[in-house]
Amino acid sequence: MGMLLLLYGQGMSQQMELYAAIDKPIDASTRNGETRISALADISGTITDENGQPFPGVNIVVKGTSSGTTTDVNGKYSLTVNDDNAVLVMSFVGYATQEVALAGRTQIDVVMQPDVQSLDEVVVTALGIERSAKSLGYATSKVNSDQLTINRSPNLMNSLQGKVAGVNISSLGTGPGGTSKIRIRGQSSINGQNNPLIVINGVPVDNTNFGTNPGNLGSNDGNIGTRGGGATTDGGDGLTSINPDDVESMTVLKGAAASALYGSRAKDGVIMITTKSKGTTKGIGITYNMNYMNDQVLDFTDYQYEFGQGENGVGPASPGAPANPVTGQWSFGPRIQPGMTQVLYNNEVVPYVAQKGILNDFYRNGSTLTNSISISATSDKGGMNVSVSNMKSDGVTPNNTYTRKTINLGFGYDLSEKFSIKGNINYSNEDNKNPPVVSEQDNSIPTSLLAMANTMPLAVLEANQFNSVGGEYSYSRFTNRTNPYWVLSRVRQNVIRDRVFGNLSLKYDITKWLFAQVRVGQDYWSRNQDYTNSPTGKNNLNQGGINSATPGFVNGQYTQEARTFRETNVDFLISATKTFGDIGVNLTGGGNQMYRRSDLNSVQVTDFVVKDLYTVQNGRLKDPTYDRSERAVNSLYGSAEINYKQFLYLNATVRNDWFSTLSPENRSIVYPSVSASYVLSESFSAPPSWLDFAKIRAAYAEAGSDTDVPPYADKLFYGTSAAQFGGQPVGNFGTTIPNAGLKPMRIAETEVGLETKMFDSRVGLDVALYRRITSDQIVNAQVSNASGFVNTRINSGESENKGIEVMVTLVPFRTSNFEWEFIFNGAYNETKVLSLLTSKDGESITVGNHVFNGSVQQIVGKEMGQIVGNGYRRDDGTINPENLGKIVFGADGLPLTTSNVVFGSALPKWVGGFTNSFNYKDIIVSFLIDFKLGGKLLSGTNFNAYRHGLHKASLEGREGGTLDAGGNDPGKVTGVGVDINSNPNTASARNEDYFSVVRARALIEPVIYDAGYWKLRQITAGYDFTKFLSPTFPIKGLKLSFVANNVLMLKKWADNIDPEAFGYSSDNVVGMESPTVPTTRSIGFNLNVKF
Amino acid sequence: MKKILSIFIMALSFTLLPSCDDGFDDLNTSKSGATNLDPVFILNNALIASSPNQSLIYEEAIVQQWFSTNTGVLEGGNFNKVNVNTTPNNWNNFYQNVIRYTNDVIVRTKDEPTRANLYHMARILQAHAFMILTDTYGSIPYSEAGGGYTAQNFFPTYESQETIYPKIIDEITQAVAGLGTGGNVETGDALYQGNIAKWKKFGNSLLLRAGMRLFKADAAKAAATVTAAIGGDAAANLILSNADNVIIKHDANFVNGHGNTVNGGEAANFYLAEPFINALKGVPGNVGNTTVVDPRLTAMAIRYGGARSGGDQTANSFANGSKDPADQFGCPVGSTDGEADLSGALLPPGGLYGTPAAPRTGNRFCYSQLDRNRMVKRTSPLFLITAAQTQFLLAEAAMRGYAGLTFAQAATYFNNGIKAHMDEMALYDPGCAISAVNRDTYAAGPEGTLSNGSLAAALPQIGYQYWVASLLNGHEAWANFRRLGYPALAPNPNPGSQVPGAFIERLTYPDAEKLVNTANVADAVATLGGPDALGTKVWWAK
Repeated sequence: MGMLLLLYGQGMSQQMELYAAIDKPIDASTRNGETRISALADISGTITDENGQPFPGVNIVVKGTSSGTTTDVNGKYSLTVNDDNAVLVMSFVGYATQEVALAGRTQIDVVMQPDVQSLDEVVVTALGIERSAKSLGYATSKVNSDQLTINRSPNLMNSLQGKVAGVNISSLGTGPGGTSKIRIRGQSSINGQNNPLIVINGVPVDNTNFGTNPGNLGSNDGNIGTRGGGATTDGGDGLTSINPDDVESMTVLKGAAASALYGSRAKDGVIMITTKSKGTTKGIGITYNMNYMNDQVLDFTDYQYEFGQGENGVGPASPGAPANPVTGQWSFGPRIQPGMTQVLYNNEVVPYVAQKGILNDFYRNGSTLTNSISISATSDKGGMNVSVSNMKSDGVTPNNTYTRKTINLGFGYDLSEKFSIKGNINYSNEDNKNPPVVSEQDNSIPTSLLAMANTMPLAVLEANQFNSVGGEYSYSRFTNRTNPYWVLSRVRQNVIRDRVFGNLSLKYDITKWLFAQVRVGQDYWSRNQDYTNSPTGKNNLNQGGINSATPGFVNGQYTQEARTFRETNVDFLISATKTFGDIGVNLTGGGNQMYRRSDLNSVQVTDFVVKDLYTVQNGRLKDPTYDRSERAVNSLYGSAEINYKQFLYLNATVRNDWFSTLSPENRSIVYPSVSASYVLSESFSAPPSWLDFAKIRAAYAEAGSDTDVPPYADKLFYGTSAAQFGGQPVGNFGTTIPNAGLKPMRIAETEVGLETKMFDSRVGLDVALYRRITSDQIVNAQVSNASGFVNTRINSGESENKGIEVMVTLVPFRTSNFEWEFIFNGAYNETKVLSLLTSKDGESITVGNHVFNGSVQQIVGKEMGQIVGNGYRRDDGTINPENLGKIVFGADGLPLTTSNVVFGSALPKWVGGFTNSFNYKDIIVSFLIDFKLGGKLLSGTNFNAYRHGLHKASLEGREGGTLDAGGNDPGKVTGVGVDINSNPNTASARNEDYFSVVRARALIEPVIYDAGYWKLRQITAGYDFTKFLSPTFPIKGLKLSFVANNVLMLKKWADNIDPEAFGYSSDNVVGMESPTVPTTRSIGFNLNVKF
Repeated sequence: MKKILSIFIMALSFTLLPSCDDGFDDLNTSKSGATNLDPVFILNNALIASSPNQSLIYEEAIVQQWFSTNTGVLEGGNFNKVNVNTTPNNWNNFYQNVIRYTNDVIVRTKDEPTRANLYHMARILQAHAFMILTDTYGSIPYSEAGGGYTAQNFFPTYESQETIYPKIIDEITQAVAGLGTGGNVETGDALYQGNIAKWKKFGNSLLLRAGMRLFKADAAKAAATVTAAIGGDAAANLILSNADNVIIKHDANFVNGHGNTVNGGEAANFYLAEPFINALKGVPGNVGNTTVVDPRLTAMAIRYGGARSGGDQTANSFANGSKDPADQFGCPVGSTDGEADLSGALLPPGGLYGTPAAPRTGNRFCYSQLDRNRMVKRTSPLFLITAAQTQFLLAEAAMRGYAGLTFAQAATYFNNGIKAHMDEMALYDPGCAISAVNRDTYAAGPEGTLSNGSLAAALPQIGYQYWVASLLNGHEAWANFRRLGYPALAPNPNPGSQVPGAFIERLTYPDAEKLVNTANVADAVATLGGPDALGTKVWWAK
């Protein structure tokens, strides 16, 4: 089963393969011509497809020889044979291979039929074991590699947004090279990361993400980020180092049953990637692929432009008022009228006019150009594939570039009849320059731009970045809002990663039904990062200049980090497959040893001797740290599959894991799974003719995980501070109480499903229902601070995920020239917290905080990821029942607040998409509409827009206040509601005070939004030029396609932002929106040339 | 082929052998952390964290010395409002950064005779932290506090202040008695390098402070405790010299929290309060009833007249700072940002840098500030207990007739206290130094002289001087003000006040504590004698 979006050429045939009718007897060739011949003979003929259309490119080989040919654009072929008893073998990917004996004929015409066996497609399952799809008792999704290669983004997974049922992919607004947040069947663990396991060619690889995680409490993933503040950027994840061109296929294993054989690490599903190890045709093949995407930023702001820069109605140098030039982040000034001027922070006088569209003025168009070339060689015994690619991406932030170079080698060879070897190795080099600082205050361009006073000309900011002593020229009294141009010129960051991963496996067929395999895999990377947390001269470090707090030095902070990571996996597998009459049996057993080590060397220096020289030796205070973390998991596992007449399958697995991070009593854990699959359509003696295929499946599985238990969590370790105090060392230890009794968390998942194909495969349905209980979760239980500590990790939490995944495929219209295909995929998921420390309803823990106000809490009895914070205080109706629910105002005219109001879950309930593809002759056009619905968000952008007077709501009561001494009008707002005595509110507040209350009183209620959206995600158009190419022309295939991504926002509920634009990858801060790099509309093309 | 097969089998057996968790215990032992560390170095951390870094938003604003006109994160004592982000500061800092460490030291040294001195030092430092905690919040976890790891007690129960104070007094008494009776000299101690005599003075001076806190709530206990603290020879047992001050010598690495705030992004947001400036200026009708210009004003304050923004507040700009007492103007208490901007009337006509013909309009940027380049640098020290404070307490004890002290002694202690504080100024920065002449002139005047033997006349004088001498130690300034009622500050006039009485009497429990330690907090609130609110008085203040 697959979700196809782009269908052309080979892709189209695969579509046939996937949705074709199944298991009807092969209606082989139609035979014409009866002339018998002898010895040398010229054979010719025409090959057509199942619709009677000429079929170009079909391979024709004389069986047992290497001679052969392919059909031309008219489906015709000719070749010479020297044996009139020769057998011709016709093949084309996705079509049933046919063998036709000449039997003396010279003209052989053949009608190719889609490979009806292909519904019985082979799926790569856990451990790289291949299984027929119909035998599986659980849901998998196969992803066509075209989906990855045409619609590109630097992170491979982002191209799958909205395309796979039950898989929620978010590309973050953090620049190219950023993290892709993937959640399969929702979030299960109440802590931080719920990332699926990434497996390449059967061996897990690292997908550590270096996303921006400020405010993320307690969870391990919070430790991965940068330190020192002021440099909250997204350093990407493990998927960024994969070149989409190298991917042959990808399978998503969604449920616990599917991933049971991966045990602990696969609690959130598995993404299985198989890379290319040979060509599609025999001999040498060369493929060149070029992809170009251009990104234009999308501006969703709808700000007010009636009143300009200033505060309390006082503009920068309003008539008669004191000059107020440092209001660069406030738009509470006087009404903008023709002819007015303003005195800016640099004493420049400019017209007082609205500056609209500054996002597009500031950001540039981004672009990504990828060139890759691959050479493949294929023979009877095996093959190899080598590819080299270069990707260069210019982010929309003018100083942000990301380049990636990869080399990939895959090979497989049968050394003898019984002995085969397979391997692959991938090298990548990534260089990410100046990934943008997002979702924070200092040094964050998006935060400054999105709250910039609406009459502040960008040109002035650009021309006046530096003050007289070379420091930041402060344009706003809010000195944490760095001038965006100063950030561009002064805030530096480099992330360079070299990575090598690969594996080698040896397989030995002991007998026809028994094989053994040993595999060794390693993922190794080194990552060097350096960044100026606070560049020299940063305004808020020292008023007015570069003078350091420490005399004789200049201020600033700089960090240099070097990390290395190594994960090795050694595994073995023994597998036996045998048939006893109607019963088929497969038994597999194996074991795995995983060892992982990461090292971090980091030096942070504060204050410098020489200005603008960012080196460790130039620093005054040096704070070096070294950290090393090791863990290992050993495992033994086995599986048994029994089938009856290949329509009833029963499968059971068992796995035992031993975890190094847990105490000896708790470290061994066994988990089983069982699943069954019943192919109805094959069990009937005479299935109805409209029913092509039907299967029901059911599975139950358990898994466990220690991923939330960091190494060394069982003991208290002491450390010492980098600096001495009064000449004496200063000792310290952590604020988490060690717990030696931790157990792995447990997952139990039940899943049932139905797959069916009807009416000549024009109707397809695949439904899965699941329920997952995740128990013994590691809760970072907050303890009383009076205990001296902040928290302790305990096994306690329990949560439940319930959901349904549906995929519907329809072909409403199909003729020989035109086909319209419609695919819907949708998933509904609900995740409820059943218990934390106790199962008492309402008990909660805070897992993350917004940069400003508000938090994410897990609350027993509610859905996960609740947004909690201060809401309006509402009248309780005791004095006057009519006032129940009205907002209560204080004597100062400002709304009063109620703390700990629960505003709802940030997790989307509905995620899915519709794809329509139209295929006219060889032109394929498709578009995808996708949606995420049912979640909430807390918008930091709107929080700022309120308090800085940019939000249109803040236009209320701009005028009519008590004029100040200078005759400026601070405005007046009398809130609608009651006072504390339940009388109608008559107190008023000045306009700015009224809208600043979101900050002053940490009121988040006005900026809570429905996070849902509908988007026209993608339009693609493709054409295969292959049929115009002469067979003698060196180019054998030519395909060109166009793609437009993130085309149109159809519907959203949040003001001023793209509800998708998030900076955080951790679930601990889910729904906490804070300004990010704007989302982009990307338009580009892909050219694929085969030689 | 057989060979390959045997390699194969060997590889298989390798992965299976010898056991499935071999070496895991070693693997799970950190290679970059230590399982043991000399506890004196842990005590050093507790010492640094004992610095009154956190007392800016509430305490110093409540006692009207230094505050911000800003709302938002800086909102607190300046407007008599609850700011849940700041009310937990003392709680979190003293439990997490002091008691967590002192508890570790105490547990590890308790049964270690060679570390007996360290054990007693940790007890004194811990008692100091507990005093600040109970003074701030009233009922608090005491006996069970800090034992998250050592006692596995995650949710300690609370005790009332009435129960805690005698325990603190016992604890300090035992620790002082135990010091020097055996064990190593703790040379790794960053405060006194293990000097037993100085630690004893620290302990006794803390004991004196604890005793004087109780004069209203339990006069007998107060008198007895003070007598014990003096031990017959105040000069030998108490901190009467600046050389013995409990000082945190902040440096570029362990910075002064106040200095960090006003040398960072909040530099332009904190101003000296009008009552404080007026008292030091001797403006008629001030809270200290002073009549002369206090030399400490020049040592502390600076005013950037005519500054229009924080950026203007530089020594090099047209608004270069003036330290002249006549130029100092304090920010009216309770004024918000906007109101402060319009208070031009408070400035002298024509201003400092304008002329009568072309007056500069005032705004908050030109109110007097504590000089961030002298007294509140990032590296300026902060004090837990000073000679000045101790002398003032002794003066008060004498006036109350405790420990057999006389009025003459009271007058001497009072006068010496003032001089000690004047001398202490030089420790902040050489630029804050007060000349001996100026010091003695002031001390010899009416401000340095207890007017007569009447308690009623002496207390306002002592209270005022204690207030000035406790600048930058908001914990102590606030506690003493609540205890004594002096100086006679006027209530904060901000209309948004959430305090029913005149002043904030305690801070509310942290939200986090109410969330996780719910039942114990509920029990504690029942012992407060009022709601968990800013207006509820603590036991010794009733």
